[in-house]
Amino acid sequence: MRKKTWLIVLILAVFVVPMYAQTVDEIVAKNIQARGGLDKLKKVNTIRVSGRMVVGPGIEAPMVIEQKRPNQMRLEFTIQGMTASQGFDGKSGWSIMPFGGVKDPQPMSEDDRKTIDEQADFDGPLVDYKAKGNKVELLGKEPLEGTDTYKLQVTLKDGSVRTFYLDADSFLEIKQEGKRTIRGTVVEGESLLGDYKEVEGLMMPFSIEAGTKGSPQRQKITIDKVEINPTLDDSRFKMPEVKKEEPKPEDKKAKP
Amino acid sequence: MKRLTLIVVLLLILIGSLGMPERTSAQTKVSPAETIKLDSEMISGLGARSIGPAVMSGRIASIDALVDKGRLTIYVGSAGGGVWKSENGGTTFKAVFDKYNQSIGAVAIDSSNPKTVWVGTGESWVRNSVSVGDGIYKTVDGGDTWQFMGLKDTERFARIVIDPTNSNTVYACATGHLWDANSERGLFKTVDGGKTWQKVLSANDETGCAWVTMDPQEPKILFASLWQFRRTPYSFNSGGPGSGLFKTTDGGATWTKLTKGLPEGDLGRIAVAVSPSRPSVVFAAVEAKRSGLFRSEDGGESWHEMNSGNEVIGRPFYFATLFVDPQNYNRVYKPSTGLAVSDDGGRSFSGIGGGVHSDFHALWINPENPEQIFVGTDGGLYTSLDRGNHWRFIANLPLSQFYHVTYDMEQPYNVYGGLQDNSTWYGPSRAPSGIQNRDWRSVYGGDGFWAFPDPTDPDYVYAEYQGGNLARINKKTLETKDIKPFPGAGEKKLRFNWNAPIALSPTQKGTLYLGAQFLFRSRDHGNSWERISPDLTTNDPNKQKQDQSGGLTVDNSDAEAHTTIYTICESPKNPKIIWVGTDDGNLQITRDGGKTWTNIVGAVPGLPAHTWVSTVEASHFDEGTAYATFDGHAAGDMKTHVYRTTDYGKTWQSLATPDLSGYAHVIREDGVRKDLLFLGTENGLLVSLDGGQQWAQYKGGDFPKVAVRDIAIQPRESDLLVATHGRGIWIVDDITPLRKLTPEILSKEAAFIEERPAAMIIPASEFGFNGDAEFVGRSASENAIITYYQKKRHIFGDLKLEIYDSSGKLISTLDGEKRRGLSRVEWSMRMKPPKVPPAAGLVPNFFSFVGPRVLEGTYTVKMIKGKNTYTTTLTLVSDPRSKHTKEDRLLQYQTALKLYDMLGRLTYTVDAVVDARNQCRQLAGRMPEGSAARQQAETLAASLEALRGRLVATKEGGGITGEEKIREQMGSLYGAVNGFEGRPTQSQLDRMTALGKEFDSMAAEFEATAQKDLPSLNASLEKEKVPGVKVMTRAEWDKKQETK
Repeated sequence: MRKKTWLIVLILAVFVVPMYAQTVDEIVAKNIQARGGLDKLKKVNTIRVSGRMVVGPGIEAPMVIEQKRPNQMRLEFTIQGMTASQGFDGKSGWSIMPFGGVKDPQPMSEDDRKTIDEQADFDGPLVDYKAKGNKVELLGKEPLEGTDTYKLQVTLKDGSVRTFYLDADSFLEIKQEGKRTIRGTVVEGESLLGDYKEVEGLMMPFSIEAGTKGSPQRQKITIDKVEINPTLDDSRFKMPEVKKEEPKPEDKKAKP
Repeated sequence: MKRLTLIVVLLLILIGSLGMPERTSAQTKVSPAETIKLDSEMISGLGARSIGPAVMSGRIASIDALVDKGRLTIYVGSAGGGVWKSENGGTTFKAVFDKYNQSIGAVAIDSSNPKTVWVGTGESWVRNSVSVGDGIYKTVDGGDTWQFMGLKDTERFARIVIDPTNSNTVYACATGHLWDANSERGLFKTVDGGKTWQKVLSANDETGCAWVTMDPQEPKILFASLWQFRRTPYSFNSGGPGSGLFKTTDGGATWTKLTKGLPEGDLGRIAVAVSPSRPSVVFAAVEAKRSGLFRSEDGGESWHEMNSGNEVIGRPFYFATLFVDPQNYNRVYKPSTGLAVSDDGGRSFSGIGGGVHSDFHALWINPENPEQIFVGTDGGLYTSLDRGNHWRFIANLPLSQFYHVTYDMEQPYNVYGGLQDNSTWYGPSRAPSGIQNRDWRSVYGGDGFWAFPDPTDPDYVYAEYQGGNLARINKKTLETKDIKPFPGAGEKKLRFNWNAPIALSPTQKGTLYLGAQFLFRSRDHGNSWERISPDLTTNDPNKQKQDQSGGLTVDNSDAEAHTTIYTICESPKNPKIIWVGTDDGNLQITRDGGKTWTNIVGAVPGLPAHTWVSTVEASHFDEGTAYATFDGHAAGDMKTHVYRTTDYGKTWQSLATPDLSGYAHVIREDGVRKDLLFLGTENGLLVSLDGGQQWAQYKGGDFPKVAVRDIAIQPRESDLLVATHGRGIWIVDDITPLRKLTPEILSKEAAFIEERPAAMIIPASEFGFNGDAEFVGRSASENAIITYYQKKRHIFGDLKLEIYDSSGKLISTLDGEKRRGLSRVEWSMRMKPPKVPPAAGLVPNFFSFVGPRVLEGTYTVKMIKGKNTYTTTLTLVSDPRSKHTKEDRLLQYQTALKLYDMLGRLTYTVDAVVDARNQCRQLAGRMPEGSAARQQAETLAASLEALRGRLVATKEGGGITGEEKIREQMGSLYGAVNGFEGRPTQSQLDRMTALGKEFDSMAAEFEATAQKDLPSLNASLEKEKVPGVKVMTRAEWDKKQETK
């Protein structure tokens, strides 16, 4: 797969001259191609990603992210055997944070809902960006930690801005920056992506490092397994009903 | 080039697949080491950390702010630390201009377009230590990105005003060069948002714009002042025929010089302000033979002197602003050494104060609430909610302007340094909750420069204030003994530089040097001084007229003291060799301990005469070798002058390359690797691995483009300490990798690089909820650091690090950093978190979340990078402060491990109980109502649930139930033992035994149930042809854990 991608890149590099005159659409197309191509991406309807999060020195939490087209999402992570979950069914978001003795699902705030809504965009904001109402602008070619990248600024339909850094050789995303507004205050986040591996013809990052811009604290996510098109019922993404009579928290463990 | 590599690689892959693998050797051929170009990103992966301090902050040159939807956004332009933005009224700030020139003259928000902000670089408060700017910049996205908008050679700006009715019309008041004449100075105007500029007001090449103010109601009416001025290394002049006050009513096309009622003769620096609430009232503070505050009531036509007190005439070159209350035209603020205000239209002024640093340069009044004021001083930013009667210090701006940095040998070591107008401070290099403002202590007064802890008595520190005022201070009591030397009978006064050099002998503990025009040496803590040189300067009397310096306003503060010694270095190889550099360009050496001296500056090629010697650094390896930097900026020479001699100064070689920029302040040679050099210039920090043939700009850890005034290496920790003049102290922890980074490694695809042994820092934390409004400097990492080099960024496939103990057991797997060049990965030195069964809530002990920390010793690190594996070792040592014996630590580790395993067994047991209970419940549901089997299953489920309730806390519905079962007790005990790496208490050891017994009996109960009750249930079920309940085995459970 890697060879194939490079071959495509090479062919493009040789025949599409001059290189620097690349348009946004060409770069977006190459990114999609590098990820496996639109056909393969579109054939994915559900995905489950399992791994672990390192949230502090020595503190690890197993985690699972499930997504279903077009924009349903569920995240679970486990600390001391207790599993927290967050979900979004395409309309509303919810979360269960069991660590303080309450295991009932709670609705998400509007700010959090927007964030998960955006994360739930199944193919990411570059795929079909025009149809989605996103704007993409090429800010130029610039080095990221000494590696040449194409810097794309994506203005989402709701006006929020994301910046993608695509490795200039592979056209894969190696960094993303974003701003979120929480209670009227802008929070800037960034994540680095790496360890790309092929899964059923798709190039997936197996290493993600995320944090708030300017802060040395980082969450590291290591992916162990990616499942393409697992069976995921819509009910997994809906807010669970509160079972008032007999809560069984221990039943809500992360599925491996 | 990259693309070419890709093509080559691809071709090789294709050829390879055609069965010609031998050709691939062409790809792996290593290019000759010397051709490898060292660049920034190869070394910047060694991050730097900013430790502040912000407790004294630093000089602020300009402030602008804007109230938008009830929130106050503030931009602060600092003298040497860039632009800082707050979106919450000053609670938190972030640096938004780090990639650009850090000396700021003016910031201005476009009121009709608040995301547009203009920044004029180059401070206009032209004191001796002022930096230089490089033009004007603009952001249209609130500071995320900046565009250079020209006026590159203006060097400094005093103010920028934007037409409130047209964002494209901007006036930039460019003060111009300080140390030489230039033409790009005066008032500039753009009408196209900065694409083009027109100089609309100017006089001559010695005169720049000092201030501009706009009539808030009529944006075509502006007042501007021109100022003629010049600084040399030894004098300052304010005033001349170019100076004057001007008015335009047509947006700058034509100007009228305003004179009626103003002083006659040459004028100096003039501040001018229009009253926002009555624009016909204009105030001007005018420097002249008789300076004073003037007021016009007819829009500048005619003027009346209102006041000539110290509050309004002091130091105009440093304080030339006036601010009128936005709602009360009779209230005018005059920032100066103090802040004065008049409530009667300028007739009388009274000082307003409180606990605020002196020297006010910037002021902003909230137009919607004039009670609220922000001021920028030599000691940072303050805000008042009662018109300046009382102040709150903004403790969040690490703008400290250090001149020098030194260190001690304590654990952890402290850093020391003196700052512009902010005394001398020391603070720790690491602290459990970050390095906070409260961790810093000041030890002296005035402007601080050099400070050295006394190597013979760690309770004492040598520090100085301007003019060679050296003292020996007790750190604990702050008792201060003045130890300055004096001239002999009938001699003229000693000449000390503003920043007079002090040096410790590297070879003789307790020997101290101090430079005036003579070199002094003391061997008795400064009690007595030997003069060990003649006058080493040019002793040029024309450069010694500081009593006449200042121009219209005499200003003789020691800042222009000249013909003095500026840098001293005794050779670490030979105490008889001492190198001395002077501010007037002499470079002297003695090889006989001061008996004879030779001026060797004539041998330095390509250096303009009388160029200030900013450092001389004797080599640690060879007594004939030394390095020197020269700083000509005070004569208008901005070049980077850096040289080396290997023959006692007989000949010198320039180490300057085209990559260098900014005048040079300091060069340091590493004490371990001879060719590892560090250079500090006005534009940042540079590193050379090859003795100065190639230099790479260091950008690690968001290190800004800030002036680097001094560099030191803490030898025990191998930490690089960087003193910036505007952004405090930065530390690059452990430069061992730079010592080991050879051309051979640079040519490899990837390689591990040695680090210092990792100390297992005593686990500690501090309690404190100080809000968000205080700066906290980053402490050193408490993790083990693994460093490696990669030629290219890693994108495809795994990049993981595996840590193995001496028995070959895998302990941790870490995600590697992907970046090109040097990378660092941190390892907590801990095993995986313990297994803990689910329950009602978390075990409330931090150390129950993490695994036991491994023992000291040597570990093996494997890097798996795609298909390649690299191996190195990592040494862990105990915290040097730790007093625990190895035996006690071992017992702690083993106890923690036992509890860790017990928690694992507990988790298995609870999981098995829950699993069996669930099976019972499920089966009960499938049995007919009232059947014996159903009842049996229900009973068993209930008894299993009851057992669970004794193993773990099960009370739901809130955090603080206080319920403690085996899990909570065992988890807390584990946390307590895990968090203290000495001998566990006997009570803890006993408790472990007791808990173990309690747990064993419950586990036995479960086993009994499995053996006794289950078979009878399963027998009943079998009758119904339903498969029975099966207890999960430990082996099955273990397998499940692996796949998790």
